[in-house]
Amino acid sequence: MTATRRDFLSGVLASTAASALSAGTARTASAQASTLRVRFYDDPAGFDPSNIFRIENENIAFNIFSGLTTYDSTSGKIVPDLAESWENKSNKVWSFKLRRGVKWQKNYGEFTSADVVYTYNRIVDPKTSSPYAAEFGNVESVEAPDPYTVVFTLKTPDGNFLHQVANYHQGQIVNKKAIEDAGDRVRWNPVGTGPYYLDFIDVNSRIILKRHADYFRGPAPIETLYFQIIKDESTATIALRNGEIDLIMRSNREENLDILAKAGFTLNKVDNYAALVRVVNPATNRALADVRVRHALAHAIDWEAVCKATGAQLQAPAHSLLLPWMDAYSPNVPRYEFDQARARKLLADAGAARGLVVRQLGTAAQGVTEIQQFEIDFLSQVGVTMRMELVDTPTFNQRRNRAEFELSSRLLPAVNPDTILFSYLHPSNAAPRGLNGARYDNPKVTSLLESARAEVDPAARKAMYVELQKIALTDMFYQPLYTSNVVWPGKKNVVGVRINYLAQVNFHEVSFA
Amino acid sequence: MFAFAGKKLIQLIVTTIGVVTLVFFTLRLIPGDAASAMAGDTLSGEALERLRDQMGLNEPLMSQYLTYWRKLLVLDFGETITTGLSAGELMRAAAPITISIALATIVVTVLLAIPLGTLAAFLAHKGKKGLDSLITGAAMVLDLMPSFWTGLFFLLFFSLTLGLFPASGTVSLENPGHFLQRIALPVMVLSVTQVATMARITRTAVLEVLSEDYIRTARSLGWSELRVLFRHALKNAALPIVTVVGLSFGSLLNGTVIVEFIFNIPGIGSLLVNGINSRDYQMVQNLIIVYALIFVTINFVTDLVYRKIDPRVSF
Repeated sequence: MTATRRDFLSGVLASTAASALSAGTARTASAQASTLRVRFYDDPAGFDPSNIFRIENENIAFNIFSGLTTYDSTSGKIVPDLAESWENKSNKVWSFKLRRGVKWQKNYGEFTSADVVYTYNRIVDPKTSSPYAAEFGNVESVEAPDPYTVVFTLKTPDGNFLHQVANYHQGQIVNKKAIEDAGDRVRWNPVGTGPYYLDFIDVNSRIILKRHADYFRGPAPIETLYFQIIKDESTATIALRNGEIDLIMRSNREENLDILAKAGFTLNKVDNYAALVRVVNPATNRALADVRVRHALAHAIDWEAVCKATGAQLQAPAHSLLLPWMDAYSPNVPRYEFDQARARKLLADAGAARGLVVRQLGTAAQGVTEIQQFEIDFLSQVGVTMRMELVDTPTFNQRRNRAEFELSSRLLPAVNPDTILFSYLHPSNAAPRGLNGARYDNPKVTSLLESARAEVDPAARKAMYVELQKIALTDMFYQPLYTSNVVWPGKKNVVGVRINYLAQVNFHEVSFA
Repeated sequence: MFAFAGKKLIQLIVTTIGVVTLVFFTLRLIPGDAASAMAGDTLSGEALERLRDQMGLNEPLMSQYLTYWRKLLVLDFGETITTGLSAGELMRAAAPITISIALATIVVTVLLAIPLGTLAAFLAHKGKKGLDSLITGAAMVLDLMPSFWTGLFFLLFFSLTLGLFPASGTVSLENPGHFLQRIALPVMVLSVTQVATMARITRTAVLEVLSEDYIRTARSLGWSELRVLFRHALKNAALPIVTVVGLSFGSLLNGTVIVEFIFNIPGIGSLLVNGINSRDYQMVQNLIIVYALIFVTINFVTDLVYRKIDPRVSF
């Protein structure tokens, strides 16, 4: 748990040496011997990339580890990370040229292609029991012809493979010796090549990251990241206003954002981070098998008004399963404008003129949210009674995974459009095997999904994605409701807080003004 | 006394076995498990099964139960399912914090509530209804204030407006000054309700005693009102007050769950809530045992105090 004296001393020595060596460069001229205090909103659950969960933990891992590729903080585009460049043959053989001279944290030596091979073998090794093993299910072999080259050969072509090797979950490269040294405490002893290393953790109160002096892009401006666990959002708001912290990792309450904005704090924000979709399960309610009923549900609610009333800074209406910043996004898909007269007619045509009862699964922890109260009201205006079934969160997850619901919702963060579309729409992912809780199975969509994944030409791939979205959004078993924004309020002098589309912040870009 | 202690010890063992068994099986009857709680929106199917394997959730139930007992008998509390950390270490770090808050609250409560309740009883006895009503009314209002609301109010007032106490920060016994600063607000919040309850009980108990013959006799001996009130009336009204103090300690352990959340205190209340929310069976089972032990100990101490106050009490 706690760093050893040797780790601490070596960290201090390394950072001192690095500062001295690079004195005079533009980068270190701006380096600040300083501490940034950040609110961390839940108990940490560990940082082993093979078994990491939840955005807050992923945020820590994102700054400790590197992938072969990573995401640009602003555009969300794939950019080089540990790989300097890559080439591929027919989307099937992917060859990566690695950076030279990259140093592991905590004196674990130099990064080479053997680390990449070890990482991917570890993920797929049944002994690791990694839930992300399936992400590499399509990898036939990984070879390291020399210390700075890695070649992946896939079983079937995958045009989105660069996402699989990005700095996220299974894509984060680990060090074999560090893993072996950590024994059964791997998740609490992460060693990566990223801009910060884990210096200390008390799972009940704080996580301290220190600047990795030998980081291949140069040392980060801020020396220490002090993550203070503050679960209650109002307490976090007061702590920021009191000056006890500099930055809030994620604030989800509109009233707190208003207070902080008025008090002169910066609301660092990323819009459209992920889309919440309603999952319609016709197996448990026959009426929902009728496409007219599903369209009626979509027409019945004024999402513009609902989003505005409940938190204009935190969400916006969604019209697609994908996000507007994704390559495969297209506005030219069926849209369901607010039209209650049309909703009533569709219901009447479907034989539900006298009313319809549907059950929406939700969590007791959230209760009936403000948004759901609006939904219930809007639906009642067209004769649909939406009853809430509130269960505790683990039960909610289990029932949703087993498709034991009539209506449910899911928010799947991903940068790769293929992840979202395949997860929802491909029959191989039908519940309980995967996230396709509606058990959607349209052969045309399935064929397009598989063809798009294998397609070499990006334009042709996009055309297939658009076509299959048109079909899926006509069938409407997955109904886009609204997109979520992520806000990190902070002090004015904390600059460079750019939240990427996985709701992560690269602290190497953050500094004090 | 030894027979009494032995009887209590047997009760403790039987209670613990019952509680552990009940909690072990009922937790597993509830739908959902640690794997589905942890995976949230992102996993399903085979990936979720891999996670279950890793957490040991796919082991046969009886095997899990026997393993748990085998470890418990050698005081090995095992590792939490969700973090893989030693549950014993986590509890050892958290328990002193919660117990300190509960004890400090009891001290503050006793110091405030007993004089206030006694004063209110005295005023009522003397027919001075105005001040008595004020104290009693204030106690009722305070009693009804939910701690999550009082907590936020105190945070805004004492932390943000006055800047007297921090809203966040580490809570460590290694730094007593900072520790006291951090637990001050939780103690104040918990004390509000406790003072109100205990002041009302004290008032009722003392008021009843004040009408007794021996109090009249004490007054006729020319003793001061203070001496009569605190030395004779309060002492004879002590039994119900001691009962409430004992019960308060138990309820405080539960009450700390909310204040620990609001004030960001890493106590056993937080561990329990997190354990339940994440279906961390190992942690919940252990904590239930700790709670059971604390409650039985409180009852034991309360019984001993009864006997000290009133030697006529027998068990």
